[in-house]
Amino acid sequence: MERKLKKYGLIFISVAMILLALFMFYPVLYSFYLSLTSTKLGKTDFVWFDNYRRIVTDPLFWTALKNTFQILLIQVPVMLFLALILASILNDKSIKFRGLFRTALFLPAVTSLIAYTILFKMLFSYTGLLNTTLLRINLISEPIEWMSNPVTAKAVLIIAMIWRWTGYNMVFYLSGMQNISEDIYEAASIDGASKIKSFFLITLPLLKPMILFTTIMSTIGTLQLFDEPMNLSQGGVTAATIGPSNSLLTLSVYIYNLCFKYVPNFGYGATVAYVIVVLIGILSFLQFRVGATDDEKEARKRNKQKSREKRRA
Amino acid sequence: MKRILLVISVLTLCLGLFAACEKSTPDPTTDTNGNQQSDTQQTDSQKETEDKSSSSDKQKITVWAWDPNFNIAIMNEAAAIYQETHDNVEFEIVEMAKADVEQKLHTTLASKMTEGLPDIVLIEDYNSQKYLQSYPGAFADLTDKINYDDFAPYKVELMTVDSRVYGVPFDSGVSGFFYRSDILEEAGYSADDLNNITWDRLIEIGKDVKAKTGKAILSFDKADGGLMRIMLNSSGLWYFDAEGNITVSNNEALKEAMETYKKILDADIIIPTAGWNEWVAAFNNGDAASVISGCWIVGSVKAATDQSGKWAAAPVPRLNYDKSINASNLGGSSWYILEGAQNKDLAIDFMNEVFGGNVDFYQKILVNNGAVASYLPAIEGSAYSAADEFFGGQAVFADMGKWMNEIPSINYGLYTYEADAAIIANLENYLSGAKTVEEALQDAEAQLKSQIQ
Repeated sequence: MERKLKKYGLIFISVAMILLALFMFYPVLYSFYLSLTSTKLGKTDFVWFDNYRRIVTDPLFWTALKNTFQILLIQVPVMLFLALILASILNDKSIKFRGLFRTALFLPAVTSLIAYTILFKMLFSYTGLLNTTLLRINLISEPIEWMSNPVTAKAVLIIAMIWRWTGYNMVFYLSGMQNISEDIYEAASIDGASKIKSFFLITLPLLKPMILFTTIMSTIGTLQLFDEPMNLSQGGVTAATIGPSNSLLTLSVYIYNLCFKYVPNFGYGATVAYVIVVLIGILSFLQFRVGATDDEKEARKRNKQKSREKRRA
Repeated sequence: MKRILLVISVLTLCLGLFAACEKSTPDPTTDTNGNQQSDTQQTDSQKETEDKSSSSDKQKITVWAWDPNFNIAIMNEAAAIYQETHDNVEFEIVEMAKADVEQKLHTTLASKMTEGLPDIVLIEDYNSQKYLQSYPGAFADLTDKINYDDFAPYKVELMTVDSRVYGVPFDSGVSGFFYRSDILEEAGYSADDLNNITWDRLIEIGKDVKAKTGKAILSFDKADGGLMRIMLNSSGLWYFDAEGNITVSNNEALKEAMETYKKILDADIIIPTAGWNEWVAAFNNGDAASVISGCWIVGSVKAATDQSGKWAAAPVPRLNYDKSINASNLGGSSWYILEGAQNKDLAIDFMNEVFGGNVDFYQKILVNNGAVASYLPAIEGSAYSAADEFFGGQAVFADMGKWMNEIPSINYGLYTYEADAAIIANLENYLSGAKTVEEALQDAEAQLKSQIQ
């Protein structure tokens, strides 16, 4: 009987497994094989790890990596911190129209990536709303060339991304906060803890799993950043570079350029893709380590001790 | 063991299903085509065999291109002309964004699948060698099929690989200096003052115009290497020499072009823009007094109908470099026929008949779409010599035809976009004063070398 059940179970999951294998595992493995080849001018050569060697000396790759990490290190912490603050404000039951504010803050997350990028490009254009407003209220005497300066262009990208994604992360925190019992806050306030103190000592620690989750998701999302820089720089169609001096060139955009804008080398493109995979792996691992709960940390310590003892024995 | 067998059998079953799905999809479409066919011709639709034979009578040419107001509209016109004499030919003209056409073509050609490819595709001239050399054998060799003597030689050069010619030259990117005659007159410049000038002279004029009228002379996108390519092309030089060797740090014209970019920006005579829309808006709303670009910009210039009669055209400025002349090219594209296309011969016949021999067609698309073609007999036509009211009665297209013949012929090679990106990325360091022009060019060359290995 059990054998029969097992058989049926296998049949049922087989469809999903086959689809997964076909559209997930096969491309993953094949792209690794691709990364060991160089496909150029109609010839495919198996070059072993030459592409990985080339990547080390590729100035554009380093530019893309540097840009991606600059965006990651500024955008993700600022966004998550804002989301936390907004969430804890909106979690306060004494605030009126909470539903309205929540919806309003979440709304950017439903706009299309391209639409909001173009919107921000218009806002920050030389004759755009922001420059006009700043000029009118006499804060600046000449329009600022937001999109022509490498630093400000990157700032515009980060501001746009924060606008788009803060509400999205806020919802995760809000749902996490609903699970924290009111009693704890009440007890804290009876003990004389201020709102700020209970935010840092109660809300933050109890939200740790949620913070870990959003950090990992945002990190992965930012490492794969493509639509926003592509569109802020007119899709690289009229512009020779992605943003002024390639300041918006991210790793994903670089892959696109390697495959479709430049003389196509899908092999080298796959190599850059694999570098992103490795980076995501390393960063996620680090974040799990940092974000692990105390129980998990202790469990790990115990395991280590055990293995050490075993070795000694 | 049993389990493995089971998995394998399910796997093969599913694969079979997939294959069946793939196979079965084309059938219904041919069927419906056949049915439509029999309806229009009002023949008996009793037997499937008859349907099939009539559907093979009716042939279809698929075309991929971008820009509905230009390439697509022109292709529609060409299709209509061809259908007048060949009523059994259908056209499917697919409009996509330029980047999408390129991406789709790359992925399909790289996968070596011929299914799903069009019969005719539009490719930008800067990209043509890249496609031709990256996918040898993918495009039809038209050397003996089309009379290339009828086309501007510089265009034919761009689609030649090992002295075989692929493709049908289409629109020219002959460049012009299009300016607001009213604004420049207000500043005291007549048409003669603006004829065959140098870039340095243009900067002087720009300063004067700014002082007298407050208008900027150009709208200018620092990230766009277009003007640099115009300057280079006017000198007969490129980022590469004829053998494909990099000529960046030792390129006199390029060095002067970089210096000219800096001079233009330092002179404070431009409106900085980012991207196409802002760039066009600046001269459409009258903030910029001129635009220097390929002739395809005329359509966008004319979009500001309230400025009719206030524009004029002059040859592009030249560099001080001794081989630089007042004629250049920016962009432009050509049609290519896929070797593996279903209706390759029909597509060749179509291209030959309309694009390679119909002078009236070229007059029509010039009037309707502002397309300056590289088909030389067309330039003798009436539409080219007509005075253009928008340009104050100047016969701009006849002028452009003249300039087109002078464009220095160069081989763009494979890596125009890599080079463009390397130079513009390193331009900023020179503009800000952090590096000298020689250093910036050396950095660009280093980046380019690493890109094209």
